[in-house]
Order: sequence, then C-alpha cells, then structure tokens
Amino acid sequence: MKKPRILLVDDEMAFADNLMKILSKRGYDVIVVYNGADAVSMIGEKEFDVIILDMKMPGMNGIATLKEIKKKTPFVEVVILTGHGSVESGIEGMQLGAFDFLMKPVKVDDLQEKVSEAYRRKLVQGKRG
Amino acid sequence: MELEQEAGVPINQPHAKKRGEEHYSKLYRKFIFLTLICSLVPLFLVGWGIYAYYSGFSKIRIMNYFENQVEHHREIIELFLRERTSDLQLVILTHSPDYLQNPGNLRRIFSIMNQGSSFFTDLGLIDDKGNHLAYIGPYDLMDKNYSQAFWFKEVMNKGIYISDMFTGFRKAPHFIIAVTRIEGNRKWILRASVDTEYFRSLVENVKIGASGEVYLSNQEGILQTTPRFSGKIMGKAPLPIEFFSKESGIGIYEADNNNPSHRFPRQLVGYTWLKNPRWKLVVKQDYAEAFRDANQANRAALISLHLSLLIILVISVISTRYMINIIKKQDSVSDLLNKQLVQAGKMASLGELSAGVAHEINNPLAIILTECQVMKDTIDDAPSLNNEVRTELTASLSQTESQVHRCSLITQSLLKFSRRSKSQREMVNLNAFLEEVIGHMEGKAKGIGIQFALDLEKDIPSFPSDPSLLQQVLLNLINNAIDAHEGKPYGTISIGTRTDSSRHGVEITVSDTGSGISPENIEKIFDPFFTTKAVGKGTGLGLSITYSTIKGLGGDISVSSIIGKGTQFKIFLPFRPSDNDQENQENVIIQPQSSILKSGANNEKT
Repeated sequence: MKKPRILLVDDEMAFADNLMKILSKRGYDVIVVYNGADAVSMIGEKEFDVIILDMKMPGMNGIATLKEIKKKTPFVEVVILTGHGSVESGIEGMQLGAFDFLMKPVKVDDLQEKVSEAYRRKLVQGKRG
Repeated sequence: MELEQEAGVPINQPHAKKRGEEHYSKLYRKFIFLTLICSLVPLFLVGWGIYAYYSGFSKIRIMNYFENQVEHHREIIELFLRERTSDLQLVILTHSPDYLQNPGNLRRIFSIMNQGSSFFTDLGLIDDKGNHLAYIGPYDLMDKNYSQAFWFKEVMNKGIYISDMFTGFRKAPHFIIAVTRIEGNRKWILRASVDTEYFRSLVENVKIGASGEVYLSNQEGILQTTPRFSGKIMGKAPLPIEFFSKESGIGIYEADNNNPSHRFPRQLVGYTWLKNPRWKLVVKQDYAEAFRDANQANRAALISLHLSLLIILVISVISTRYMINIIKKQDSVSDLLNKQLVQAGKMASLGELSAGVAHEINNPLAIILTECQVMKDTIDDAPSLNNEVRTELTASLSQTESQVHRCSLITQSLLKFSRRSKSQREMVNLNAFLEEVIGHMEGKAKGIGIQFALDLEKDIPSFPSDPSLLQQVLLNLINNAIDAHEGKPYGTISIGTRTDSSRHGVEITVSDTGSGISPENIEKIFDPFFTTKAVGKGTGLGLSITYSTIKGLGGDISVSSIIGKGTQFKIFLPFRPSDNDQENQENVIIQPQSSILKSGANNEKT
C-alpha cells in the first residue's frame, strides 16, 4: 500500500525534523522544507497528499505559501500549524482552501489524527476527480 | 451585601485625594488673591479717586459759600452805616442850625430817624467850639465840650466821620457818626451814637450754625462788637492780626490748644475789611461743623466703598469655593479617566507583549513535545531496556508532556488576552441569562457547600449586549467567588440586579462570603498577571479580561472587599451602548467565544 506523502513546511528545524522522524515511523512518507519558497518549488517537483504548513516563517509566510500551493495543486490538503493561536489567521487559511488548522504546541497524536482526516478527504476527492 | 461603604476600595474610586487638600488650598488662595486684585484694586482706585475729588470739590464749594456770605454781610453792614450817615447828612443839610437848636425840633427829627428801628441812641448838634447846642438822648451830655475829643477833630477835618468804639463821657462802649454843615466860616456838627446792641445784632445776623460767631475789630485788633463766644467789646480780638494778611480772604485757623479762649481747635475763618470805617469783619465757624454735611456725605461714600469691598470679598470667597468644588469634581473625573486610560494602555501594551511571548514560547513547546514523542518511540524500539529504567523514563516523559501542556494553557491564555475581535450584540434578558449561567455553576458550587442567593429586580428590560462575553465575565467572577471560599466552606454567593435609572443601565452585583482581598492587593486586582492564587493555579489574566470586556461593552466594573468577610463586584451595563463602545470593543482584550460547558470556566482569581 502506498504511504501517504506529506510535505512538512516549518522554519523550526528541530520541530520539523522531530515531526518527520515521528510521522515517518508511523507510516508516512515525509519530506521537510524549512521555508515557503522551497515548499512551492517542491510542489512542482513531487506530488503530495497532505501539506503541514507553519504560518509564521521568514520570507514567504504561511498565507503566501498557501496561495501559491493552491495555485499549483488545488486538490492537495493543507493542515495549518500556527503559534499565533489566532482564530482569524486559521480562518483566513481555511478561506484560502486549507483543510484545518492546529495551534502549537500540538500533540503528535492530535496532529496525526488531523493529517489522517485530511488524507482521507484527499483520497475521496481524488476518486471523485 | 454592601461592602463598599464599609472598607472597600473601589477600583474606580475618584482619586482627587492624590492631589491633596493642600493643592486645593493653594489654588483657593491663588484664586482669592487674583479675584481680589482684579476687582478690589480698580474699585479701590476709582472709589478713592471719586472720594478725593468730591472731598476737594465740596471743600472748595463750602469755602466759596463762606466767603460769599462774608462779602454779602460786609455789604449789609456798610450799607447800614452809609444809610445812617446819609440820614444825618440829610437832616443837617435840609434843616438850619437854628431850627435844629430847638430841642423840640431835634426830638421830632430824632424820633423820625428811629421810626423804623432804634438805630441811634442819641442825637446832638454841636458848634465848632465843641459845645452842645442841642442834645436828645438818655445821657446828661448837654454841657459837655468835645473840642478835645478825637472824633471832633476828625469830623472837623473830614466833614464826615464814623468813629471806632469808645467809652467817652457816658463811660459805655459806643461809636458815633458825625457830619458837618458849613456856612461861611462857621461849622455845625450833627452827631449821633449808633445803638450798640442794634449794631451788634445786625453784625451777628449771619446764619452760621451752633459754633459760628461774627465780630468786627479795628486796625489795632480791638473788638468793635462782642463776639458770641470769645472776647468782649473793646477787648482784644481772639485771632492775631497776622492771620489777616489780605484785604479779604478765607482760611483755616488752627488754635493753640492751651488757649482757653478758643472753644474750637480748628476753625474756618472768613474776613474782609470795611472801607469806612476801617473795620475788619470776621466770620468764623468750627471747621467740623462747617464741613459736617460734606463730611457726612464723604463718610457715606466711604462706607459704601467699604461695603462694596466687603461684598466683593464675600462674593469672591463664595465664588472661589464654588469654582474649587467644580475643579475638584472635574479633577476626580479626570483622574478616573486617566486611570482608566492607563489601565487600557497597560492592557494594550501587555496584550502586544503577551502575543509575542506566547508565540515565541509555543514553538519551543512544540519542539519539546515532539522530542518527548521521539524519546517515547525510541524507548518503545528498545526491547532490551531495563523495565525499571523504561518505567522511570516513561513517567519522566509524561511529566514533561504534562508541564508542556500547562505551559500551553498559559500561552493560550496569553493569546486570548491579546486577541481582539468584534463583539456580536443581541438583545439580552439579563435575569433569565443570569439564571441560566448560575444553573451551569450550581453543581460545582454545591459540591463544596456553597449556595447561590439571587436578588434580581423584576421587569429589567432586555438590552443589546454580547451574551457570549457576558457569560465569560460572569463565569469568571463566579469561579473566583467559589475559589475565594477555599478553606472556608459553606458560603454564599449572592447575585443581584437592579436598574440604575440615573445612568440608564443596569447594575449587577456578585458578592461572596469568602476570605476577602487585602487593601494592598485590591488596587492591583485588574492588572494583568496579578494573582493571589497558588503557583500553577491562575495566570492572573481572568479579571483583566473581565475588566476589558466590561469596558468594551460600554460598562464599568468596581470591586470592594473586607478581609475575612468577602468581596463584592459591581458591574454596570448601559441599556444603550454607544457606537463608540462597539469600536472600543475592537481595542480591548476579550475572551474567545465558547460555550459555558466547553470553557470549563476560567477560574483565574486575580
């Protein structure tokens, strides 16, 4: 069975690397990039099922990255991670097509559950598409 | 429970005391001084100017009047003497000496001359040798010879002569008027003595009050009439000759206090010289009496002036007190607004800071959580690990996760504190709303022996507000009230409502019978991060959020407390929040919108 492919976008390297290790162990194919521009480049190179996107990043921030991602691959599911904890930024992300948002610090189990939900929807939408 | 009046410290109590009574006393003195300077000085200058002008003017007028009286009286006296002289001239020129020598004829003429008044005492016809040819009068002078008398020589030389007062053969003071008739080389003299008493009454016929007197004196300063008070006829005149330096004039004579002849120490003196004889007419009056009317008018003016000064002083004091009271009230309002502004500013700054801090802490927390997970996974992947070590490590990692979760709650509170959003207003039935909120909390309260007591005013109209925000506020206050009973079970939380018609709104009171808040803490109770709870039990943000929320709803909140008896919060909410309140809502810090049950209630006690 094909592993769900996840693109993890976060400028916090330690967090991103740890999360990659954990999710990899739990059966996900995880690729990590540390900024928005790399994420947009990576979208052009590979296909992803779910993208975990941090909101606050230097250079291209989460919202700008999300816009570019949705331009290139409208059907990819994006789970937003934010340290802001603001409903407004999460809602803005969802209005731009994000699947859902979670606030840092998030338990890995919670994140995994949200990613699974996103992946399931991706699969459903993929079948429809 | 009415605690505020007992010992409470309402958070928004006016801070006029901070300025101190000394400040207002100083202000009061400054106002009084300036008011008095601005009003009294012009009044004083104008008043004294008018007084001085009127004083001088009235003095000049009185002196002019006095001088005119003297001149007028001189004319009367001179007219009298001229008329009497003319009488004698008429008689001697129109009747022959032979005719006049007849005693019967002379008597008839004498009686005609005295027909109007008793002008003359006697009348005599004298030849050029000084012998009486005829005499009509009360004295026995028929055989007297006047050839050696001073007046005889004068009249023989001048033809007409009016003498000074002298005693003569009759040994009584009198003066005579004598005229001559010349026929060839013979001369006859018609001589008459003027009635001394009549003349005196004529001289004194000047209305000069109770202290005035009039007299005549000759060039040597000898009295020609008896003055009313000082001296006697033919005695020395009371005023020195040097005083009368001019032909006529008026002046003020300052008497020597040691001289008993002067009844009045300061006198107004008018004088003028008669042409013939050279007598000096002196009219004098006590200075005080002469200027009495003017002085009274001046005194009245001065009294009016001083009364005006007094009235201005009183009005200044009253108006200044009134102004100071207004300033005190304004200062109180201003202090309150300043305090609220400072509080709002403090909250805004802390909100910004909180957002930044929360975000920066969240990331490391996220990393710690993932590190924990990595370690857990590693432990799971190491089957050879000693069980005891595995257990110890797993417990340690769980504790780490638990503490991260605690930190996470704090940062969430910080983020809530800093969050800004618009409130959603809808009509709220306050009493029903309160009952609903209390219903959710009753279970928790009963569990620790606390009961609710409601005192809700009926018929409070529904008004627009944000029920979600109100709910958070009430939950926070009720949770705090429950927590206040820690170590003091079986208490009561009283919740009341009443219409505040003066402010067109409603007042909600939440009182407890808990441990109370100390005066030093109560001032800081709405400050963010201030808490009296044990470490880990409160973030110190609950009441800050409550305060901001109520302000954002256009209301007000105050607190009062008595140690050991309890605490009371009073919330005021307007029936018609202004549009500004809605705008302000965007600038205050509020709780997120969540339901009662989900929130688990914010139990921070600040």
